[in-house]
Amino acid sequence: MSHIHITLKDVSFGYEKNKNILTNISFTAREQESVGLIGANGAGKSTLLKLLVGLLPGYQGSVEIMDTAVKKETLPWIRERTGYVFQDSDSQLFMSTAYEDIAFAPRNYGLPADEVERRTARALDLTRITHLRDKQIYKMSGGEKKLVSIATILSMSPDIILMDEPSIALDPKNRRNLIQILNQFTHLKIIASHDLDLILDTCQRTILLSRGNIVADGPTAEILKNQKLLEQHDLELPLSLLGRPQT
Amino acid sequence: MDELAARDTWLNRVHPLAKLLVTLACISVTVSFSKYNLVGLLVMAVYPASLFILNELSFPDALRRLRVVLPLVCMVGLFNPFFDREPAASFGSFTVTYGMISMVTLMMKGILAVLSSYLLVASTGIESLCYALRRLHVPAILGTQILLTCRYISLLLAEADRIVQAYSLRAPRQKGVHFKVWGSLAGQLLLRSMDRANEVYESMSLRGFTGEFYDHPKNAFQWKDAWYLILWLLLIAAARYFWR
Ligand SMILES: Nc1ncnc2c1ncn2[C@@H]1O[C@H](COP(=O)(O)OP(=O)(O)OP(=O)(O)O)[C@@H](O)[C@H]1O
Ligand SMILES: [Mg+2]
Repeated sequence: MSHIHITLKDVSFGYEKNKNILTNISFTAREQESVGLIGANGAGKSTLLKLLVGLLPGYQGSVEIMDTAVKKETLPWIRERTGYVFQDSDSQLFMSTAYEDIAFAPRNYGLPADEVERRTARALDLTRITHLRDKQIYKMSGGEKKLVSIATILSMSPDIILMDEPSIALDPKNRRNLIQILNQFTHLKIIASHDLDLILDTCQRTILLSRGNIVADGPTAEILKNQKLLEQHDLELPLSLLGRPQT
Repeated sequence: MDELAARDTWLNRVHPLAKLLVTLACISVTVSFSKYNLVGLLVMAVYPASLFILNELSFPDALRRLRVVLPLVCMVGLFNPFFDREPAASFGSFTVTYGMISMVTLMMKGILAVLSSYLLVASTGIESLCYALRRLHVPAILGTQILLTCRYISLLLAEADRIVQAYSLRAPRQKGVHFKVWGSLAGQLLLRSMDRANEVYESMSLRGFTGEFYDHPKNAFQWKDAWYLILWLLLIAAARYFWR
């Protein structure tokens, strides 16, 4: 298997011409790294994550995942190895029941039926939603949908996990369980979130985006402690570092 | 609809391919009856009627769901009595013309076809249906189109619901939506639902969707499915033969 890593070199991207949302982004994330992606609303976090799985064609610069450039021909290969959780669960889920949705990817990858069953059951178990297995998705609460969304990519057994706001809508107990799941996943993950305490608990490294630029990239503990830096870019210290009780 | 298809009844457990074939046979035989053959069509009505009863589906429910389609189907034969005035039988002073009979048979054909399709969708679910179509070597692109259209319609309805809710919460004294904002709401609805549909499609392709459909292993074609298929085909063929 090729070495797991993500490398961006001078990547710029805009939805409209002459209006870059991301400018000159360069970084490398290596195997076993967990990277937090933080930044104010509209900083470009979701855009950056979508770029990595080829949802936004027409960028400048180079994006490589495991030595493979992200372009049309390589997308199936890259996507099979990358699990992406949308910021909005309603975009992520499309089958009628939780089971069907979670089994969708393994079935599409042509796995035998018992393996599909095993992986789906495991994903349900990890996210602790086995009781929702046959529930209609349109009848679920926001948090329930989020958990199903996370399960849909766990069943893919990806090498890389990209999550956009995974803790949004989760209650404290499920949020703690999510942190546990994330910490058990050791390959390579990038997590975009405003939940800085979650980043603190799951990522060793943090990248701070501001208006489409990387303004800081380093150990999470250092960046999230740096009140001046955070406030400069419209963010605040994580609650746990303020000495307040954690939610 | 999804909910009906997700029930666990004997009909829902029949292999989608068997149900699809029976439905196709039933519809084509129904349509093939001559336009004055009222009795034959009444016999064909046994198929949807028995499925409604055996599978404990609510008929009024079906009528409610089909309330938009059924009147349209009935309109088709509406003018036949004017074209075809040749008398067929008379009861006292009232004369039944061939045009009246063909109007009724045309309506019945339409209604039977719609009901049979309804039964198929209500007992099978759209994903399994696309899978069955694939098994019949219908091109993948067509199955995908059908699937995405169905998804799009439900997305559109959900999105419309959200917009109207959001609107009514901020315009609590109004009944319905003020006509001045109809245009912008409709435009919003179109944009938002297309955006949403696009993201859903992205989510599908991110998880390896290429146009093929996979079905539950529990749905392997079994003997009981073959029996279901054979029995109905025999019955339909018999109906066609004896009530020509
Ligand atoms: N489809 C689109 N077309 C045009 N502009 C867009 C589109 N999606 C996002 N943008 C713009 O790109 C910028 C970055 O958006 P993005 O969603 O990446 O931000 P984000 O960091 O994820 O913000 P948030 O924290 O609110 O999720 C925003 O200014 C937004 O207006
Ligand atoms: Mg975002």
